[in-house]
Amino acid sequence: MNQLFENAAEALESTLVMLESVALRDTTTIEMTSDSCEDLLYDWLAELLVTFEVNRSAVKKCIVKIAGLSLNAECWGERIDPNKHILNTEVKAMTYHNLQIKKNNVYHAEVTLDV
Amino acid sequence: MTLAELVREDEYIWEVPEGTAPGMRVPGRIFLSDALMKYLEPGAIQQVANVATLPGIQRWSLAMPDVHTGYGFPIGGVAAFDATEGVLSPGGVGFDINCGTRLLATTLFKEEVEQRIDEFLAALFQAIPSGLGSKGPLRLSETELDNVFSSGAKWAVNHGYGDAKDLTHCESDGCLDGADPSKVSPLAKKRGKPQLGSLGSGNHFLEIQYVDQICERHAANLFGLKEEQVCIMLHSGSRGAGHQICTDYLKVFQGASRKYDIKLPDKQLACVPAESPEGRNYFGAMAAAANYAWTNRQMMSFWVRNVVEQKFGATATLVYDVAHNIAKLERHSVGEARKEVYVHRKGATRAFDKDSSYGIGQPVLIPGSMGTASYVLHGTKKAMATTFGSTCHGAGRVLSRKAAKRSLTWKTVIENLRQKHITIKTDDLSAVPEEAPEAYKPIDEVIEVVSKLGISKAVARLAPIGVIKG
Repeated sequence: MNQLFENAAEALESTLVMLESVALRDTTTIEMTSDSCEDLLYDWLAELLVTFEVNRSAVKKCIVKIAGLSLNAECWGERIDPNKHILNTEVKAMTYHNLQIKKNNVYHAEVTLDV
Repeated sequence: MTLAELVREDEYIWEVPEGTAPGMRVPGRIFLSDALMKYLEPGAIQQVANVATLPGIQRWSLAMPDVHTGYGFPIGGVAAFDATEGVLSPGGVGFDINCGTRLLATTLFKEEVEQRIDEFLAALFQAIPSGLGSKGPLRLSETELDNVFSSGAKWAVNHGYGDAKDLTHCESDGCLDGADPSKVSPLAKKRGKPQLGSLGSGNHFLEIQYVDQICERHAANLFGLKEEQVCIMLHSGSRGAGHQICTDYLKVFQGASRKYDIKLPDKQLACVPAESPEGRNYFGAMAAAANYAWTNRQMMSFWVRNVVEQKFGATATLVYDVAHNIAKLERHSVGEARKEVYVHRKGATRAFDKDSSYGIGQPVLIPGSMGTASYVLHGTKKAMATTFGSTCHGAGRVLSRKAAKRSLTWKTVIENLRQKHITIKTDDLSAVPEEAPEAYKPIDEVIEVVSKLGISKAVARLAPIGVIKG
């Protein structure tokens, strides 16, 4: 589950910005608790989107620890500089559309972004 | 859900019968021609049926001919809910609250602009911030931002961005009553503050167009439109402020829907009674975002006018400004009764039969996809009787942005535009295929359906000659 959340973060961040151009310069910690696993995934990605849109910070790498319905994440990245970073797509919001987490041999999550 | 479940009522009316999905309170109605049926996705039919399950819905869950699958509600969806017994749903408005279209008619004609199109486009591109994360030039205080949320386009006019006559040429005079900035989260304010006066990215655009066909002479005269006349069309919304307000209230409504025991077929349809504290708070915040969007478009119009004046010594008059992602409290006939209802238009445009400034049905602005025609229509009595005064909002997507990027290259799209004598400016070439004509339904067919249905009537067709893609 930890890796699922880390991969989901990478999927979102790489939609927003070319991650190759982002350095591991700043560190932040994100903590949250939600009502279900799906809600936790939604809230996690929504928080990363806000971090990008409001603080103008991209997260290149994160280590996520999930305990029950709580998440603790250490994140590394840097502030967006239009002269240095290549922006990809403006994401308006996370949606609940077809939001799901499934487990076969591995965890599989489906998340839809409104772009 | 499949096409086989639809019942054809008329040449252009397809019914989704009650009972197609569990809990439907009214039937659904999808307006399509045979030519547009091939684009109808099963997911969109399901969404029309899902909307029909929401409490207080009146008469039908409607889908316009540009319908496609959205989040919760379909894009092109219209639903009216009883003002006291019904619900409000952020999913019925969308993330880009009051995304809308505005048309300015200049005193210029095609020939004189065509010769200087590059220069004209470059000046507009410089004057109007556009693209990913674009910011406006103002540094607003918190109080001023609240004034924008409360007053809408009037705030811009009072600050010198246009004149009072512009307000009479905006839907709802550019200000939705009931806006309450105190119901807008600090985060939404933080996202909105730097972006006022910017076009944004994605499908937002500014287009230099000319009138290539007058469809109804009398209405065109009233709207001040002539053959070959150059117009500027703007498509933009409430930027990050609206996105965050929708996100904030979707979250609140997830829990509140359970509290009010509303059964939801889809989480994205989260809703609450309109009269509940949560419902009133959402309406106050949604109206604030709508007002932000009208201010935004009013400011950009001012810069357009400056360029038109500086480059050509010409002027530009506001024809109209319409919202196509909004919920509004309106009075409509439901059976024999007149009722107050919250009309949700998500990718649908108001098409009222009366407009006090023009004396006929209100102007309806329908943008085509990049490189294809746009239309000016007017609202009708038929729309009042059958669609809660609503019509389509555009061509409607057939390819997702990702699919468009996979199947087309930006070089091909730009070359195709060049062959049609259309110049494009953007700071994000890689996103150009997302808005290519191939990614959308044919606009002429969509307009044909709404005209034949009589829910709005074509007045003029506008062809593009220059595009700024956000």
